[in-house]
Amino acid sequence: MFGKLKSILSKVDAEYSDIRYEIKGEVRISFSGKELTQVSSNSTDGFVLRILKNGGASSVAFTKENDVEKAIRSAEENAILISKNIEAPVKFARSEIIKYNYLPKLEVDPRHISFDEKLELTRQYNNIPLTQEKIVTTNISYLEVIREKFFLNTEGSEIHEDLITTKINGLITSKDGTLTQNVRVGIGGSNGFAVLRNREEEFEKKTDIVLQLLKAKSVKGGEYNVILNQSMAGVFIHEAFGHFSEADLIENNPSMRQRMEIGAKSGNDILNIIDDPTMPNQLGFYKYDDEGVKAKPTQLMKNGVLVGRLHSRRTAVGFGEQLNGHCVAEDYRYAPIIRMGTIFIQPGKDSLVELLAKLDNGLYILDGKGGQTSGENFTFGAQYGYIVKSGKINDMVRDINISGNLYTTLKNIDTVGNDLKLSETGGCGKGQMNIRSCHGAPHVLIKKVVIGGV
Amino acid sequence: MDKLLEIARKSCDQVELYSFDETVNIIQFENSRLKDVDSKVQSGISLRVIKDNKLGFAYTKNLINRDELLQNALNALKGKVEAKFNFPLTRNFPKLKTYDSGIEKISNIDLVEECNRVSAILSSKTKGQVNTVAVSSINGLGIMNSTGTNLSLKTSEYSIFITVLYPNSYAAICRLLSFKRFEKTPDDSLQSIIDLYNQSEKEVRPKSGRMKVLFMPEIMHVLMWRLQSAASGIAIYQKQSPLLEKIDDKIFDDKLTIANNPLDDKIPGARPFDDEAFPCSYFPIIENGVLRNFYYDLNYAEKINTKPTGHGFRSARWASETIALKPTPSLEHLYIQPGESPFSELLKQIDKGIIIAGALGAHSGNIPNGDFSIGLSPGLYVENGEIVGRVKDAMVAGNIYDTMKDVVAIEDSTHQAGGGIFPSILFDNVSVVT
Repeated sequence: MFGKLKSILSKVDAEYSDIRYEIKGEVRISFSGKELTQVSSNSTDGFVLRILKNGGASSVAFTKENDVEKAIRSAEENAILISKNIEAPVKFARSEIIKYNYLPKLEVDPRHISFDEKLELTRQYNNIPLTQEKIVTTNISYLEVIREKFFLNTEGSEIHEDLITTKINGLITSKDGTLTQNVRVGIGGSNGFAVLRNREEEFEKKTDIVLQLLKAKSVKGGEYNVILNQSMAGVFIHEAFGHFSEADLIENNPSMRQRMEIGAKSGNDILNIIDDPTMPNQLGFYKYDDEGVKAKPTQLMKNGVLVGRLHSRRTAVGFGEQLNGHCVAEDYRYAPIIRMGTIFIQPGKDSLVELLAKLDNGLYILDGKGGQTSGENFTFGAQYGYIVKSGKINDMVRDINISGNLYTTLKNIDTVGNDLKLSETGGCGKGQMNIRSCHGAPHVLIKKVVIGGV
Repeated sequence: MDKLLEIARKSCDQVELYSFDETVNIIQFENSRLKDVDSKVQSGISLRVIKDNKLGFAYTKNLINRDELLQNALNALKGKVEAKFNFPLTRNFPKLKTYDSGIEKISNIDLVEECNRVSAILSSKTKGQVNTVAVSSINGLGIMNSTGTNLSLKTSEYSIFITVLYPNSYAAICRLLSFKRFEKTPDDSLQSIIDLYNQSEKEVRPKSGRMKVLFMPEIMHVLMWRLQSAASGIAIYQKQSPLLEKIDDKIFDDKLTIANNPLDDKIPGARPFDDEAFPCSYFPIIENGVLRNFYYDLNYAEKINTKPTGHGFRSARWASETIALKPTPSLEHLYIQPGESPFSELLKQIDKGIIIAGALGAHSGNIPNGDFSIGLSPGLYVENGEIVGRVKDAMVAGNIYDTMKDVVAIEDSTHQAGGGIFPSILFDNVSVVT
């Protein structure tokens, strides 16, 4: 493969070029209620070429090897067009030359598990909610994505790295009269099939919650002090803060750049946030990013002060900061962009019981359900919550959506718990879907959060 | 491809071959300056086979080995996914002009020039940061099946997505315009962005409460996703739709008429047939507030024992590989009938209320139930018919089965936005939490 890639790069007339070829194997088994709606096992592939020419940078993603000449010409023309229209030439930070063949350590390679076993396991978990009377349907799938990536650049780097992602996840829907409620359920990871076995408890727990939601009250909209559980706090930090640590999002936005200056005190003293894809045995793990740069643990916030951000080779130069290998692509259809790897709030000292006592009166909100950010404002949904009175958990509430302001909410984080947990199924859509985008946190107590009830 | 169909036919009862190719150029401007110019040249094939009423599904990007693709599809049959429907024999379908050869006459240089022109105008008339993305694409689609259907379609599209950002945020006034060939962004579109932005520079913090809320075309997807979810053949079949048994009931305000119209070839993306080769048609969902139809693909039509409606499309909320998706019931060409009030009239009718110009979290919340709860990015606050400033740090929440019963007025013209063509719509009694 590298021989072929070398011959492609040899046809490019540019100061720098790199090429990534990927083979992506996908196995999908989907249930909709009791019915099996999809079973497929497929392999797809493609190339992404990036070049730096005359100070302009461009990329082209192409499927067919026969299109290589057309693709190269396109990239060269686009790079020249850019170079004629920008003030300063694009530069890439110096990066180590790497020759590496990296295969992840797996606890049971999913490729060695029979299709029947995958089908039966998914069916078994899917049946857990379906035995309950008020469960109207489920949408649960097994997904296995295996990306074999081959990266070559004109500086001499040659990297082969495989990314293996497995998960069983989806929605469980309950119904009573005209009211429906749903919860998400998900298990998975980056180290093989074993994490999917013996996980009945997760499906039983979520089934129980979605049935209870039918009897819960809608939360009343307003401002509250809240405790977020680990999943919720993970989504929160991803949306509220994580995206604006991605240098490419603020690179050309002077007002945001000013707000996100290194040294700015943006959060409360007790807030420490890191993005570390190098941690083993978690969803977001990778060794080298899609620019051939080694992934590094990157402290983003320390004691409430902004101390770092996530970079590509291009933004590292633009900001005059260190490379940390956070530039990845969803697959062969895309050039890489800056992504969070594994972002989390680092644990503090308090237990959940202590946090509840501190909260006294407010809401305890659990399990994220999708979020979005506009930089200043962020919004995310929760699957369920509880009213807390005098430090004790009371009635369940539902239909919870949370809104906040980046510049105030980080300062309103009052206490950070000691029980860090990372998401097993994560995910982030920033133009491209990153299924391995991992987030997490311990329980956290935040003051003055806007809840938009119905 | 013919060969593949032939070989597959020998071992299956029915076969469908779907092929797709696209060439795309993407130009990105940030802060009025060129940032990126990138291209894509993509293609792929998807195969569906039916044997003994069971479905096999497989796909690939590079057809290196025909037999391997077929084998993947045949292996998938082992899963015993039910498929009791038939691929259609389609010879007659509406003749639409989906490709304009004018698209070939422009180059990336022209697109860069247009983004420069638009950026210059907007940055001279507003204090906001201007970001634009221009995309030109040419797509080809082919569907063959074992009944003898052999259809192809070529489409062209040029689009420009313009945003003018408020300081310290990505909250912005946005507009999407798309055409079948390159066209200059009309002056009145630019003026509308400029006016909305300049009138809302000041930050205001109104009190929470129920009030009039105007959904701009760019925000209509918040409401449409909920209607689409409930009227889909899947939700009907699974008995989880709030609209079960409600055909011919009045569920919305009688000013609302909502249809799916893939036949409008004045705009890009028109389709004479769906991704299963079933002919498309003008399809009413809501007529004067009354629910008229649910929508199906071949599979769910058969499961409910009703006629297919030509809504089988390979689509997903988060853009996936088309060939990797199976067709499911989808509304890709929504249209809301315009009303009688120019935008200025809608404004005058707002004693106290919010114009939603940007929304966060539309994909979150209890979509099947019709609930929505979105963050504003931004909202424009209106008092006595005038925009007095912008609102952030606020949420608007409701349920479409309440909100869409209370329509004050509908704009007299439609605009392109994500998912369809919509007028602005003014609703009353919507909950706003600040």
